[in-house]
Amino acid sequence: MESSLLYFLGLSVSGLAVGSLYALIALGFVLIYKATKIVNFAQGEAIMVAAFICYYLVTLFQISFWIALPLTMLLTGLLGVLSERLVLRPMLGEPVFSVVMVTIGLSIFLRSLAGIFFGHHNYVFPSPFPAEGLRVGGVVLSYTHLWSMLASFVLMLAFFIFFKFTNMGLSMRGTANDQDTVALMGVNVRRVFALTWGLAFLIAAVAGIFLANVMVLNVGLAFVAISAFPAMILGGMESVPGAIIGGLAIGLIENLAGGYLDQMIGGGVKDVTPFVVLFVILMIRPYGLFGQEEIERV
Amino acid sequence: MPIRSKTFNESYYEDIKLFRTIWIKFWAVIFVAALVLLPYFGDPYFVYLVNLSCLAAVAAVGLNILTGYTGLISLGHAAFVAIGAYTTANLANHLGTPFWINLPAAGLIAAVAGAIVGIPCLRLKGLYLAMITMSFGVLVEYVVITWEGLTGGVRGMSVPAISILGYKLSSDEQLYFFLIVITALLLFAANNITRTRVGRAFVAIRDRDVAAEAIGVNLTYYKVLSFAISSFYAGVAGGLYAYTIRHIHPDHFTLLLSIQYITMIIVGGMGSIVGSIFGAVFIVVVPEFIKLFAQASARVFPVLEGRYDEEWNIAAFGLLIILFLIFEPGGLYSIWNRIKIGFKNWPFTY
Amino acid sequence: MRHHRYWMVKLALVVTLSLLTAGWVFADARGVTKDAVKLGLVLVKTGPVAALGLPNGQGMVDYMNYLNEQGGINGRKVEVIWEDDQFEAPKSVAAVKKLIHRDKVLSLITTGGTQQTIANLEQINEFKITNIPNALVREFFDPLQPYIFAMGATYEAQYQCIVDYIVHELKMKDVRIGVVYEKKEYGKISLDAIKERAAKYKIPVVAELVLPTGSVDASSQVMALQKENANVVITCTLLPATITFLKSGQKYNYWPTVFGFNWATDDMIVKACDEAAKNYIGVNFVGAWSDETPGIKLARELAKKNNREIGLTSLYINGVGVSWLFGEAMKRAGKDLSPESLKTAMETLKNYETGGVFPPVNYSSTSHAPGEMVKFFKADVPNKRLISISDWRKPKELK
Repeated sequence: MESSLLYFLGLSVSGLAVGSLYALIALGFVLIYKATKIVNFAQGEAIMVAAFICYYLVTLFQISFWIALPLTMLLTGLLGVLSERLVLRPMLGEPVFSVVMVTIGLSIFLRSLAGIFFGHHNYVFPSPFPAEGLRVGGVVLSYTHLWSMLASFVLMLAFFIFFKFTNMGLSMRGTANDQDTVALMGVNVRRVFALTWGLAFLIAAVAGIFLANVMVLNVGLAFVAISAFPAMILGGMESVPGAIIGGLAIGLIENLAGGYLDQMIGGGVKDVTPFVVLFVILMIRPYGLFGQEEIERV
Repeated sequence: MPIRSKTFNESYYEDIKLFRTIWIKFWAVIFVAALVLLPYFGDPYFVYLVNLSCLAAVAAVGLNILTGYTGLISLGHAAFVAIGAYTTANLANHLGTPFWINLPAAGLIAAVAGAIVGIPCLRLKGLYLAMITMSFGVLVEYVVITWEGLTGGVRGMSVPAISILGYKLSSDEQLYFFLIVITALLLFAANNITRTRVGRAFVAIRDRDVAAEAIGVNLTYYKVLSFAISSFYAGVAGGLYAYTIRHIHPDHFTLLLSIQYITMIIVGGMGSIVGSIFGAVFIVVVPEFIKLFAQASARVFPVLEGRYDEEWNIAAFGLLIILFLIFEPGGLYSIWNRIKIGFKNWPFTY
Repeated sequence: MRHHRYWMVKLALVVTLSLLTAGWVFADARGVTKDAVKLGLVLVKTGPVAALGLPNGQGMVDYMNYLNEQGGINGRKVEVIWEDDQFEAPKSVAAVKKLIHRDKVLSLITTGGTQQTIANLEQINEFKITNIPNALVREFFDPLQPYIFAMGATYEAQYQCIVDYIVHELKMKDVRIGVVYEKKEYGKISLDAIKERAAKYKIPVVAELVLPTGSVDASSQVMALQKENANVVITCTLLPATITFLKSGQKYNYWPTVFGFNWATDDMIVKACDEAAKNYIGVNFVGAWSDETPGIKLARELAKKNNREIGLTSLYINGVGVSWLFGEAMKRAGKDLSPESLKTAMETLKNYETGGVFPPVNYSSTSHAPGEMVKFFKADVPNKRLISISDWRKPKELK
């Protein structure tokens, strides 16, 4: 194959691979937004805490990774339910802005607690995946990324079905649309919220474990979530497929910018490109690519 | 002759007056006297904390005008502070202009930037607005790091001390008086803005923008104006920061700073000028109290000795945000109001 | 209405008058009593950067406690007060003020990184704060800053040594250098130093790529380097980003010789990367944890005795070394310990050995420049550690 084409393909594939991680993070954001109409700024902390939990399960308690994974998901999910119960529940009915701010408070709180209990070292996650990449015709893909792509695809499918065909999914969509009305129709809004937070944290656990596999595990892992903001917005904040497509797109754009523009117009373009794209997209389509436009009436 | 009750106003003017009763005047004088005497009683560390509170208060008031009064959420306030800081630094370093040109210039350039960001943001609301202002913040950070000729890039930039008539203000106490005066003027101006037609238009937009437009508030004009005023304050705060710390660096003006400002107005009280001051002081000073508390409790409970970790400071900070939002959404300002009314009506309950 | 304006004028007058009256007298003789001496320390303890600040400060505190157990310095016990600055300049300035005015410390062992130290420059001079910053920029010693003592080797010197090593010792044909750096001060300075040095040797620098701390992976960087056939990669990134880079390289089966500077030359890199670090060569101005020199042995003992769980061993060693120099200076200052005598004593350190912790230290009243000496280390993958492969050395003199 021609080398420049191979270069392009290589960049694209690894971009999509990183994008799948963004997609996983964005999925957590979208889930909470879909049901509660708020952006959860503590999602990054959920990711980091989950990675630490899994790390300790594997290293300290010597549990095999494949058992630790569902266990971590469960524990993090419980943390989500707990956060909802203690912090978010009292905010029911408050303005969106206040609720978002409460999640910012929660994020600061969780990050510091993680610092106290897990320490500030850089940890090395005992990766269950082989370190060498998988080679397909000159294009390289790591096993971690392969699994994370698979995981985000499976989760997307699962949530698609969940929202479309189950009662709970319907309740969630209804709650997002109008809390008061669905409450009147007999939906237990509180349960919907608790479940949403549990699920979102559960997804965060998956994202966190995959991230810890490719990065260094420390408290700073929480900040990766900020890189996933553009992915979430790009797809529109309430669309599950949007989150996945947005994530993949941002990963792709970022990598292509890094591979081509970084050398041409000076360094650091790679990291700012997603935000430029976000800026432009919001100018043209204020509700993201797949978001729903709202019509306002007085 | 009418019987005078505790708030008795004969005209609309009296109702919106700045100092409505003799007591308010009295306390204002006491307060000013305390401010003037403060550096003679506090050590430089304390004075410096007050200075930091002034810087924070100016920026927080700006954000409160945008977010608290107009209801537009911004996660990019730090970007405007950065614009102001770098404007001041460049003017002072390259043109040698005095502070009374630099600070307004910092404010104006930030205001222009704010208006430019504000125009396209007219279509966006709520969280989408928060996200776009956040990405603006990231862009500004990138520009600051990359445009080395103007900003010194990652090496940062030094700023000369303020000089008034050839007299250099470099010590904390000298800066203190300067900052207090500037801050007071800016807060006074902000208070007036919010009392006028402009301020009422902002509040109308916050409460329901479509309805506001229906009763004749020009949304485009007032939203952009709100962005501009808010950014003006941020810009001046940036200029003051440059003069106080005397070395500016891109690492300071990040998303975390924007979040800090938001925290200030939440803790202090949204839609309240006094609240912004409370919030700013609170955020700067509260870690001190947490630390004192931790040390005191270590003395009482020896088990805790040596267990204190600075992280607890930050954890407590996060917890305070949560607790305020849950239990006191009006912030410190509403606590203050309750205490004030309690005293005023004493011995009656209302 | 007039009445209310009148009040405003009055208030303004009072405030303006007070503006003209200012002045603060400060009494000297801080922090030293007959049997104790107080020292301050400003280093980050919270947030992600604490991974660097904590082991560094712990090394400093542990060594001072060790001196106390040996009977103190001239009969005085050392008390170290450690303030957190959250890695922010304004908070660092505040912490220094607190230490000087509230705790009344003799001096500060360190005021932290570049930004923080620059923001504190005026206070350092005003209050004669003898300190050793843990950052290495030229401004700190050129021109001479009376109270700042630079330790180690500047980024320029480290990368000059690396390029020298590539030319003289790597024995490689057709060297093509790729640089991976971070858009921070150290990254920029280092990049320029590499390019300048490489140009002198006429070696091509074929790629310059940015890799920030917190990147999810470094695929695009690795691919760009592969495309340019870079066979030597010099990283100017902190530890996490360097680890990400090495792991990504392994994924693409890309095995250049990778060089790194002091912030990335730590046992951690081998622990984190395993096989991926097999071609890693780092420079540092502190010895390796595995060294059998007396200084490093002492550092290991101190860590063990204090039950320190150390993430970055190189920074702990660094902390021990910095306190070592401080302790020695205080010893030399004798009974008459003051900010001024501490500084003068520090200037008497000539070819001073710290048992393999630092290269020989040389200060004088006209120069507080660092030794500009480094050691080379390579990865010992089976034992998950770094081992020294050279002695202390300076950049070669080029015509």
